[in-house]
Amino acid sequence: MTSTTTAGTASSAGTEDVEAFRLRVRAFLAASLPRKDERSGPVSMAEAKQLQAVLFDGGFAGIAFPARYGGAGLTLEHQTVFGQEAAGYRMPTPLAVSVAMLAPTLLDHGSEELKSTHLPRILRGDEIWLQLLSEPSGGSDMAGVLTRAVRSGEQWVVNGAKIWTTGANHADYGMCLARTDPDVPKHAGLSMFAVPLAHDGVRIEPIVASDGGTPHFFQEFLDDVELPAGNLIGELNNGWVVARALLYHERNATAGVGHGRGYRAEADAGAATGTGIDDLIDLARAAGTTGDPVARQLLAEAHVAAVVARQVGDRVMTGIRTGAFRGDWGSLLKLGMGIDAPRRGEIGLAVGGTGAVVWDDGADDGAHDDVDRHSVKWLTARTISIAGGTNEMQRNIVSERLLGMPREASDDRTVPFRELLSRRTAGS
Amino acid sequence: MDLELAEDRLFFQQNTRRFLERESPVERVRELHRTEHGVDPAWWQRAAELGWTSLLAAEDDGGGSLSGNPVQDAVIVAEELGRMVGPGPFLPTNVVISALSAGGSAGLKEEHLPGLLEGSTTAAWALAEQGGWAPGDVRTEARVEGDEVVLTGEKAYVEAGAAADVVLVVARTGDGLTQVLVPRDHPGVTVVPGHSLDLVRRFARLRFDEVRLPGTAVVGEPGGADGGVERQLQLALTLQSAESVGLMDRVFEFTFAYMGDRYAFGRPISSYQALKHRVADMLLHLESAKATTDAAARALDERDPEVARLVRIAAAYVGDTAVTFIQECVQLLGGIGVTWEHDIHLYLRRATLNRAVLGAPEQHREQIVVRLGV
Ligand SMILES: Cc1cc2nc3c(=O)[nH]c(=O)nc-3n(C[C@H](O)[C@H](O)[C@H](O)COP(=O)(O)OP(=O)(O)OC[C@H]3O[C@@H](n4cnc5c(N)ncnc54)[C@H](O)[C@@H]3O)c2cc1C
Repeated sequence: MTSTTTAGTASSAGTEDVEAFRLRVRAFLAASLPRKDERSGPVSMAEAKQLQAVLFDGGFAGIAFPARYGGAGLTLEHQTVFGQEAAGYRMPTPLAVSVAMLAPTLLDHGSEELKSTHLPRILRGDEIWLQLLSEPSGGSDMAGVLTRAVRSGEQWVVNGAKIWTTGANHADYGMCLARTDPDVPKHAGLSMFAVPLAHDGVRIEPIVASDGGTPHFFQEFLDDVELPAGNLIGELNNGWVVARALLYHERNATAGVGHGRGYRAEADAGAATGTGIDDLIDLARAAGTTGDPVARQLLAEAHVAAVVARQVGDRVMTGIRTGAFRGDWGSLLKLGMGIDAPRRGEIGLAVGGTGAVVWDDGADDGAHDDVDRHSVKWLTARTISIAGGTNEMQRNIVSERLLGMPREASDDRTVPFRELLSRRTAGS
Repeated sequence: MDLELAEDRLFFQQNTRRFLERESPVERVRELHRTEHGVDPAWWQRAAELGWTSLLAAEDDGGGSLSGNPVQDAVIVAEELGRMVGPGPFLPTNVVISALSAGGSAGLKEEHLPGLLEGSTTAAWALAEQGGWAPGDVRTEARVEGDEVVLTGEKAYVEAGAAADVVLVVARTGDGLTQVLVPRDHPGVTVVPGHSLDLVRRFARLRFDEVRLPGTAVVGEPGGADGGVERQLQLALTLQSAESVGLMDRVFEFTFAYMGDRYAFGRPISSYQALKHRVADMLLHLESAKATTDAAARALDERDPEVARLVRIAAAYVGDTAVTFIQECVQLLGGIGVTWEHDIHLYLRRATLNRAVLGAPEQHREQIVVRLGV
């Protein structure tokens, strides 16, 4: 593997021209990363860490992060170019949460000490972060978290439970939203903390998804977890702002824009050279439906959706860059994905026929294992429309924040959290 | 529309919008409904003065784009026309202008381009036949006899065909296609005028009975027009998609405003979550329609090797989305939405027409899977 220009030189003489950058990315990727084959199976966390280290050492990790935190000191436009070029390569997709959601949030709100300690490690894939936001009592109403953090001398002591955390088996740190003041309205009494998952007080339990496969999300019980005062991210009782930033980066990363551009390589492949529906075409071929006019219409529909999703993603990125679009436009793209994914699942069932749900034992049909089968993935096809804020929450955001339509009537922004809580218990 | 419009293009867009608002407001479109051709020739000439007919002609032919990206420039006009459900033969005239400029002989250009560019004459493009829109279905025959060409057959659904001064006819010569420019009043040409769902867009059926023309009336080579016809179809589909995007854009605007003003149960209907969520989906569809149409226009200007697929992706997406979107707005308007009085039916008419003209989404999707190698 050859190493090309490092991050430092890239920005030494002003910001590098994007087209010059593109050529540099192209040469680097060709020399350093394995090419992707849509049928070659997902990237494991172990492979992701290797790939991320290759990117970091080549100066292409955290492209829009300042060089002093291990980034390349360039812009999101460069990240977009990188993503376009990376479409044909195996990318460290499992690290997208850590690198493209948590790292940017830490960059926005972390103390100097947290940033200089953790960001270079995160960007190299040596340290993995995740989000400890959702709780058993609710995920959409994130400001309603019950986990408490209480100050005790020089420390914070955290107690509570978190759930649905993706990748807790691999992670080192969680960004944990906790209540630090229950006597003010719910948004005003929250703070964000960096929680080391190796702490004795953190117990992690796997949750088996409906596909019956290896667990990829988890539940955490936080029992007297003591944290140094410096683990507070952002200001005390300003955790909602940090959480909003995290959600913002999450939606962008999920939609494959912003810092995460390139990490969801399939999104770029759809519009570039690949069909974005190779798996569906395989299903149709196996079922012998490629000549069926209805199946052909459906395959085209899925392809159109894949390409248009990329095109509207590019449009939103352009709008954000030129200032034509301000605010939570990632929500619009996230909504699009949440609508497309289940529909794509339905199309697979239609073109795949009975063979998609019944198979011979040991058949050499390209599936790596059962959870890789379309119909098994179909069981969790609603993941994208739920995780990272449900479709309904994105629709709330789009209508209220992008379009300025009236908010739902509620007093939850004015009533002290303690009172909201008593209503909850009274109702149950 | 493109979010990175340079200043001159932005100026052109604003000028186009102001012109349409002033000279062709929707009330005027309603008046034109009762006229024979659905358009005022003097108005069309003023539109031509604004540059509507010169974007797709080469500079040597008296044309010139604003930005060096002629299709992306023309899309600006198409979108603005859509916003005002405007009249006039913008699409057919420009398709013919681009075909003439790209492949017409010097004599043919000299004879026809000046009039078309200044708007004193208009053109129609006759592609479809009763069988449909696929160039492979063309049965009209162009026979070469010495230095003449003889046309026989019938073309259907010719936009502006009864008013146009010249018609570019797609015909077959052996295995290949031939395009012949025919003056509409030439001996042997019969015009059967027709109406459409749209209030001002007229169509005609044209019969060619041994129509004899000099060989110089052929645009390009006899039997060699397949590539040109496909490019013109791509251009036409892109302009059509852009027009439908303009329809959606304007309908969204007035429906959204109405939702803020209309009260039910003591609050604006825009405050009901059931409706807010539908509006959120509509914004997604609107932005997606804009994005895919711009991508098609860019692919044409940049001669992208995938242009045939990208144009049909836009046409399939916008074709279906526009009609559903506008009907969704009818729902949000309530009873007023299904009246003659409210303008929304003009938009629904145009979108429904566009969905079926130049091939329907079903046909575009079939072309897409063919191009994916399935
Ligand atoms: C695969 C996966 C991975 C995840 N990873 C993480 C993670 O890493 N970290 C983390 O913190 N969380 C994670 N989550 C949790 C996820 O963010 C939540 O599941 C999600 O926010 C929804 O919360 P909930 O499941 O509690 O549903 P609820 O909030 O109880 O919602 C139930 C239903 O009510 C609807 N609803 C709720 N409120 C409204 C409203 N105001 N208006 C309209 N409809 C409403 C919802 O849309 C939904 O349909 C993950 C979830 C999944 C499925």
